[in-house]
Amino acid sequence: MTFKNLYIDHERTSEAEDWVKEEIAEQEARFAEIEASMEALAPTREKWYQEFFDRIKTNGFNLDGDDKMPIPDSDLPVKTADRKDQVVWKYGVDSDDTPRNGQEA
Amino acid sequence: MARPHIEPFCDRDTHFKPMRLLGFGAGMHYKMLSMDVDTGACSMTVQFDGGYKRSPGFSWSEYELIVIEGELKVGDRVCRKGHYFYVPAGYAMPEISSDQGCLLLYMYNTGEPSHEEATTHHASTQTQLYHDVDSYMDLSWAMGNVAKPSVATGCMIKLLNYNPNSFAMTFLYCMTPNFYQDNISYHDCAEESYHLWGTSWMMQFGDVPTGGYFWRPAYINHGAFASEYGCIALGRVDSKLFNHFHYNPWSTPVENADRSEARLLARDPLLYHWAFSQDHNHPHSPKDFELTMPRRANEAGHDTEHKSDGHRHDHWHGHHHHDEESPHTHDHSHDHSHDHRMTMTTNIKPGS
Repeated sequence: MTFKNLYIDHERTSEAEDWVKEEIAEQEARFAEIEASMEALAPTREKWYQEFFDRIKTNGFNLDGDDKMPIPDSDLPVKTADRKDQVVWKYGVDSDDTPRNGQEA
Repeated sequence: MARPHIEPFCDRDTHFKPMRLLGFGAGMHYKMLSMDVDTGACSMTVQFDGGYKRSPGFSWSEYELIVIEGELKVGDRVCRKGHYFYVPAGYAMPEISSDQGCLLLYMYNTGEPSHEEATTHHASTQTQLYHDVDSYMDLSWAMGNVAKPSVATGCMIKLLNYNPNSFAMTFLYCMTPNFYQDNISYHDCAEESYHLWGTSWMMQFGDVPTGGYFWRPAYINHGAFASEYGCIALGRVDSKLFNHFHYNPWSTPVENADRSEARLLARDPLLYHWAFSQDHNHPHSPKDFELTMPRRANEAGHDTEHKSDGHRHDHWHGHHHHDEESPHTHDHSHDHSHDHRMTMTTNIKPGS
């Protein structure tokens, strides 16, 4: 979180410390559930991807606002065998498991 | 590590928990949406029971809040759904209460929720930043093209808060029925959204219904987008919003960030080379000279009556004397190398 606004320094109480720890533990469990459910959605998502490709080939890809450009079939991306369909990234570019330049960590 | 990627999540799938932190009193319940694991900053759906009261006081963290359902009383004012508050850290709010109960979205930005009983603001409070508005009744929808390239027609916003330093924004946004936008987007900032009403769809995550929520770190793909019956949501970004559109659903956050960097090079090549040039990578953040430059108001001991008139030497260059004999020198040291003689051109390679 980088809203970069004012925080007035103070000592966090032990009660607040415990509360934050508990919430973080629950958040870990929540994240694991989300990650699993998004992995389970992969077959449906694959169908959505192909429908998306069909639409941007015919109706067009939204370049800016309502400006659209049809994408030639030859320009559509290919999912290589080593590429996973991953949509949840725990800490984005800071995730330990984030592939660097497309390679698995 | 900040907040993890929580997407999609719907608060309707979980139960309220009683708030047990001191100062909040009985009758406050919450559902945690996301929390910063370093600072405790968090977003929560909050329910006040009928008859709930909280004494006047402030929070150590700044926070934002919007009424989702019901009525919230702030002092003597009755605030209905859609009422938004931006409350700086240390800003003492009057007693808040709810006769019949209400549902709220609370967002603590810089630390865990806290409530210190007080009737006066903390000495460090930036009181001038406080503002509140009935966002449903007193603001008009504007086109959603706050960023360029922009969203498609049918996505509109109401700006609620704007940070001129970070360009962070809080806004309501809506999608009209049958809205769609066929591209994949990512941003250089984290993004958060809570669906106040209605359902939207994103190609990666499926439906986001009423009560649906996400906290998404920077550079993560989302979209294409659609909403069959329309929706209204509260959105936030934690720094400047730029829409990087593309159509590769398999790109990774690192690849997206690299693309952002490449686009920065294409768009602002001089800035790029200055920022990334050898021997000029500051271990701390780059300096904004406006924050540190000498100003006239700070010129104690100088002639402040007479300004440059072509005849006098009035020293309106502050204390940045570059003469080595000058008693005025930079009083800080660096443990890294600087080459102040370096020029822009020496670091721009032909064809780069």
